[in-house]
Amino acid sequence: MTVVSDSLSRPALPQRRRGQATRPGLESERWHGYLFIAPAFIFLCAVIVVPLVKAFWTSLERTRGLNTIFVGFDNYARVLESEAFWNSLRVSLSFTALCVAMHVAIGLGLAMLLNRVVHARAVLRVAFLTPWMVAPAIGSTVWLWLLEPQFGVVNYLFSAVGLIDSYKAWLGEPSLAFGSIVAVDVWRGVPFVMLLLLAGLQTIPVEQYEAAGIDGASPLQQFRYITLPNLKYFIVVASTLDIINTIRMFDIIAVMTGGGPIGATEVLPALLYNTAFRANHFGEAAAIGVLLLILVLAFSVLYVGLTRTHAQEGSR
Amino acid sequence: MTRVTLTPADILRWALILAALAVTLFPFYWMVNTSLKPGPEVFQSPPTFFSANWSFDAYRVVFETRPIGRYLLNSLIVSVGATALSVVLSALAAYGFTRFFVRGAAAFVLFLLFTKMLPETLLIIPYFQIMASLGLVDTYLALILAYSSFALPFSVWMLIGFFRTIPRDIDEAAIIDGASRLQTFFKVILPLARPGLVAVALFTFIIAWNSYVWALVLTTDANMFVVSVGIANLVGEYRVQWNELMAASVIAALPVMILYGFLNRHLVSAITAGAVKA
Repeated sequence: MTVVSDSLSRPALPQRRRGQATRPGLESERWHGYLFIAPAFIFLCAVIVVPLVKAFWTSLERTRGLNTIFVGFDNYARVLESEAFWNSLRVSLSFTALCVAMHVAIGLGLAMLLNRVVHARAVLRVAFLTPWMVAPAIGSTVWLWLLEPQFGVVNYLFSAVGLIDSYKAWLGEPSLAFGSIVAVDVWRGVPFVMLLLLAGLQTIPVEQYEAAGIDGASPLQQFRYITLPNLKYFIVVASTLDIINTIRMFDIIAVMTGGGPIGATEVLPALLYNTAFRANHFGEAAAIGVLLLILVLAFSVLYVGLTRTHAQEGSR
Repeated sequence: MTRVTLTPADILRWALILAALAVTLFPFYWMVNTSLKPGPEVFQSPPTFFSANWSFDAYRVVFETRPIGRYLLNSLIVSVGATALSVVLSALAAYGFTRFFVRGAAAFVLFLLFTKMLPETLLIIPYFQIMASLGLVDTYLALILAYSSFALPFSVWMLIGFFRTIPRDIDEAAIIDGASRLQTFFKVILPLARPGLVAVALFTFIIAWNSYVWALVLTTDANMFVVSVGIANLVGEYRVQWNELMAASVIAALPVMILYGFLNRHLVSAITAGAVKA
């Protein structure tokens, strides 16, 4: 198996084989395994499981002033009745769909270009990865300057080549702000998909293309009948991972718009953050978080199912 | 070296690659370009793409007038702390997983995978409540615990892969020679796993260094800001000094860029293991 598909599947763990002779000195200390794992296990319970349970509990409570009362699923009802939530869900889903589609389309194109490059591929790969390496908060700060309405270079360049006839407030108008956020996320997210698909392309035997070339297949036919079928698994896995990452993305929005103007970029994590830390409604924010979690978990289950099926097919 | 002949297809390919590269790297060029300009030239229209007036003045000024040094120190302390904690815990766990039959191991690894996918904004609420009730807001400890918690699943995941490549016969030979399990782990296996440990440590450091939202919520005192929060905070000022802001951004981005240089080989396995929080 290749490095990628190997790391996409779950790591192999020791299996106890039936009737296996116990090795001297090892079987007797089997419980040592638990001792080695215990610190990490206890730590994760303390810093992930406890907060997760508390988040769920918080979603059932309401705090006003100094009083906290149990309200059952009332927070969920309020959230589901609010226009802000449905707007946010719409923004989140269209943001994720647009970004992932463009990550995959551009990432695949770039990966195919780079796959044919013989010289300087390692250097190019690192160069293309830079947007993904730098902290999203820092990258977004740079984009704030690029998109600045009066002195930003984007306005200058776009009007110089005639794309726009007047300087735009890129983050000030709802539709422009949404488009700008998508553009920044595409800039940041393409390398991730490109790297995965490039690794996938390298698993396709060159002989397949050579044979197709001899048989007179056009480049388009080669793409359709060799590249796509071979790459299908990589594309599906990369998209699923990318959906999970993009739907949770908050840093870019936190730095660039905070969810505005008038909710145009308020994805679910932004709505959650604003509800919790601006409006101080922790209960409703936690309810939004649980709903977001359900959405992410659905895709996570899909991801695990995909990689597991693939690993089983691979080992057959 | 074979002779390189360029076909029209090659030329088209390189034109596309260079165009994509230009779009990818332009923001970085503009960041550096702006950081080197003197204040008045930043607001010049049309903007200058090269300037005879390039200097490092903005870097000096931003260090003198803003607590950038303090932000960097905070980021460094928190990132190193999180890295140390996470690498120790994950190395122990990965050893346990690869050397012993552990009941429920598969379930635990699956649990690790799910924790990597949790929306961090959901966890921040209870985490903030807990830290506030323990009086740990504005402490390094709160951030170190938070960063280790989301780096740990990834580290365990990657280290299981590395430890698996070290034959178990080596452990058994050490034990037959009279070493205890812990001695075997520390003196025999860890040195062999060093390349893997270094890679995991560097990735953890980058995750912590690049993180933003947790520090945004868990620090209120400007003296405790990490570099990402400190820089984003400068944007909110009345009149932003973009050359100084870009200088600060270059300083914050540089360590990560350098570390990635060392990590090129591990990128694919790390990226799929969820090395970077999107």
